[in-house]
Amino acid sequence: MPASFALGLNSKSDEIEYCCSGCRSVASVAEAESEQGAAAGGLLRLGLGIFFTMNVMVFTMALWSQDIYSDPSFATPLAETLRSVFRWAALVFALPVLFLLGRPIAAGVWQALGRGAITTDMLILLGVSAAYAYSAISVLRGSGHVYFEVSSMVLVFVSIGRWLEAKGKLRTDESLDALARLLPETVRLQSPQGDFLESSRSEVHTGDVLRVLPGERFAVDGIISAGSATVDQQVVTGESRDVAKATGDPVYSGTLNLDGDLQVEVTAADGGETVSRILNLVRDARRAKGPHEQLADRIAVWFIPTVCLIAIFAGYRQVQLAGWDQGIMTALAVVLIACPCALGLATPLAVWTALGRAASFGVLFRSGQVLERIAHLRHVCFDKTGTLTTGVPVASELVTTIHEDRQLVLRNAAILASGSAHHLSQAIVQFAKQAVDGQFESKHQSVETLPGRGLVTDLPGLGRVVLGSRRFTEENGLAWPEIMLHGNNQAPQQVGVGWDGLVRGVFQFREQLRPEATNALSACQRLGLDVKILTGDELVQAVAIAEQLNVEAVSEQLPQDKAAMLQSLADEGGVAMVGDGLNDAPALAIADVGVALGCGADISRDAAGVCLLGDDLLRFPWAVELSRLTVRVVKQNLFWAFAYNVAGIFLAANGMLNPIWAALAMAASSFLVVTNSLRLGRFPESLSLTESSSDGKIKEGYSNSRPTVDDNATSLEPPLVTST
Amino acid sequence: MIELPLIFVGGLLGSAHCIGMCGPLAISLSAGTTAGSNHLVRQSIFSLGRVFTYGFCGALAGFGGAWISSESRGFVLSQAWLAIFAGALLLLMGLVTAGVLPRLATKRLGGLPCGAAGWLKTFLSAPGWPAVLVAGVFTGFIPCGLVYAFLLKASSSGSLWLGLLTMVAFGLGTIPLMVAVGYGGQFLSNVGRSRLYRVAAWCIVLTGAISIARGASQLDPPDNMATAPCPLCDSEQIQSEEADSL
Repeated sequence: MPASFALGLNSKSDEIEYCCSGCRSVASVAEAESEQGAAAGGLLRLGLGIFFTMNVMVFTMALWSQDIYSDPSFATPLAETLRSVFRWAALVFALPVLFLLGRPIAAGVWQALGRGAITTDMLILLGVSAAYAYSAISVLRGSGHVYFEVSSMVLVFVSIGRWLEAKGKLRTDESLDALARLLPETVRLQSPQGDFLESSRSEVHTGDVLRVLPGERFAVDGIISAGSATVDQQVVTGESRDVAKATGDPVYSGTLNLDGDLQVEVTAADGGETVSRILNLVRDARRAKGPHEQLADRIAVWFIPTVCLIAIFAGYRQVQLAGWDQGIMTALAVVLIACPCALGLATPLAVWTALGRAASFGVLFRSGQVLERIAHLRHVCFDKTGTLTTGVPVASELVTTIHEDRQLVLRNAAILASGSAHHLSQAIVQFAKQAVDGQFESKHQSVETLPGRGLVTDLPGLGRVVLGSRRFTEENGLAWPEIMLHGNNQAPQQVGVGWDGLVRGVFQFREQLRPEATNALSACQRLGLDVKILTGDELVQAVAIAEQLNVEAVSEQLPQDKAAMLQSLADEGGVAMVGDGLNDAPALAIADVGVALGCGADISRDAAGVCLLGDDLLRFPWAVELSRLTVRVVKQNLFWAFAYNVAGIFLAANGMLNPIWAALAMAASSFLVVTNSLRLGRFPESLSLTESSSDGKIKEGYSNSRPTVDDNATSLEPPLVTST
Repeated sequence: MIELPLIFVGGLLGSAHCIGMCGPLAISLSAGTTAGSNHLVRQSIFSLGRVFTYGFCGALAGFGGAWISSESRGFVLSQAWLAIFAGALLLLMGLVTAGVLPRLATKRLGGLPCGAAGWLKTFLSAPGWPAVLVAGVFTGFIPCGLVYAFLLKASSSGSLWLGLLTMVAFGLGTIPLMVAVGYGGQFLSNVGRSRLYRVAAWCIVLTGAISIARGASQLDPPDNMATAPCPLCDSEQIQSEEADSL
């Protein structure tokens, strides 16, 4: 045999224990680095097995031909000799099949015996060997039936089935492999002399400095120590929003440096950086068995002994009725048709594929169990601040007295606010830009900033102008008119601007809804979920947001209230809590499924069952749809596996099923389960449910592309407010 | 069997067309060639693998034909009808290929997708002869209108061995051009290929006509007996042919 054929049984993969020969094939293929290796690992073995089986079939058909014709010439000595030659030929050609395809199965059986376990592989091997031995004895004795074609065909179909399973298991890894391949193998590492030398990724340690050029991906996590760049963080956040990064900002492995020449100080080296942690999380999730898989495992415990008993009884009955050969055939058919491969694959293959698919879109499930649980949700509660809202406020209105010149107030406030980067100041500038006629002086040189309190400047004709909180303005000797104190109760934050002893205008702020919040919540409702918003806000504000989003909102919820609410909902059925994972960690932990938003690179920070890497709320209903389809696929797989086994065993036990058909059915069953499961790998990236709104109007469909401009931003022009 | 040489010529010249599909596979065989290994040997082993599969399918078809004959014995002369059907199909195919009839039917057969090509390359590029043999064996299973037509012809023979012989003759006919192409020969122009293919088409027409004639003669025995022909007599005739061929 050529060297290429040596890989397989003697390879180091043998040292590890495998549950079945399918897994062994996976390991040998995964370890083989080239196509050539893959061929040597299993395909060539299978191909040669098929070649020899075809030979066996031709000689067997030649023997069968003589059964078809009732020709006097078959009684001639020549025909007798030919028949004997054909029987010997079938024996000779079936031997390599037994060796090539039976050996990998035998290796698995040997390992199982070492563990004291009985596997179906063992029973199949026993049946095949018995058929071969019976036939060999028939040939030697010169009389009796031969079943070489049965043993060969069974081995071929069993091997094809195992191969399909192996391929299926490998393909569940495709999404993860794509993620892992993002990490560059080599990096430019700074040497002690200060120049940058190309080194392997594995040689990088925490504290090293790397140089990353435009168009390259970061191999590890780090902090930018020199340079600035735009970074595409899609791989980590799931959304392709380019982020500007400068010195001091963190960068994550796998993300793409679009345009800057950067030096990065390593904070997490190979194996501990973001992509590796994501991969580890998904792999851990796979290890935890979900309820369906546990069910299949429980069945498997008594399944094999039962099948063993049925095979023995059915075989014994056929021995009594029709002789030894028929007994062996019947027992073999029972064992083949009852092979629980499809049963064992039904759940993990589907769940693994779904976990991989979800991970590639920034949705991380902590376990397959969570994936199955999320499919059965009845309620979903959303935290408000930071979850439904962006956490960045917008100025919603400016309250002035009737005597004030609104334009002047706005202009002066904007002059002050443009001198600060504080988010409230920026919101005021944004508000003024839309409300002021003409341009205002965007920058004033002498704005004094008192961090966390306010801004002060001197303006010609007005004197000292102050912008800040109520306390700050009052400290500066500005009085608040009555109307402004009782302005809009819904606004949690107020900023006043004034001069000459009086506050002239007060800005009201409100939280900004995430652009996709409405779509996400209505998608949840269309999925049949009972949607609630749990918020610590007062009733008025809760009602406002409830009306805006058209869902029920529960106000004034302290953390313990949220927990109690989730508990009572859990009694009615599965409940999920969607939060930002920071201030609502207890609620996330209590819910059946906790969903943390915007985990970003910090995937291990909370105990949420589901981690949405990005800030995209639409990924929650997407995950629900994915998990529902997954559970459906699992149920289809399990149903098929059970139905096929029960019907098949009945036929086989009564001697009505040829082992060849049983083996073919077994391979077909594996193929069906694998194909059905792998279609989850093509689950659409966008959510079909968000395409039309509840009022029937077509809304913007969701896609994982650059986010659109905030819908609310265009309606910022305040209702002109009231004054006395 | 008078058709065997014709079938061989049909394969020989018909393969001028087949190199469009199987040619790239034969060419990629050179990828696994290592220094010192004989390229011609690899090509021959690959072709033998193909012929082996054709032979296997022919045997299967012949056995199937025999089985149908035996199952339907006494009701219809299935073997005669199979011969006529296969002959008609070959005739039709030949005429279409020769350009006498419009190309509608062959377009569907030729348009079958081949998903196996990428998978086969694993074997083709691997060193060592077992991989090449296996590649040849699997290449033989690639859907091909010409192969199907001759398979029907094989099944109409109503005998395992005659079916096998039919397809082996066809397969042997395809070897020379495939080996030449695999050996790097682009010696045939498109015009030359289409001329060769036209000759092959008429060979196929002739094979079809002979098959129809043979089937018709079985339907209508020469002595014009009033009673139905005895199936056993037919089978004797087949067996004697079979014995001759062995």
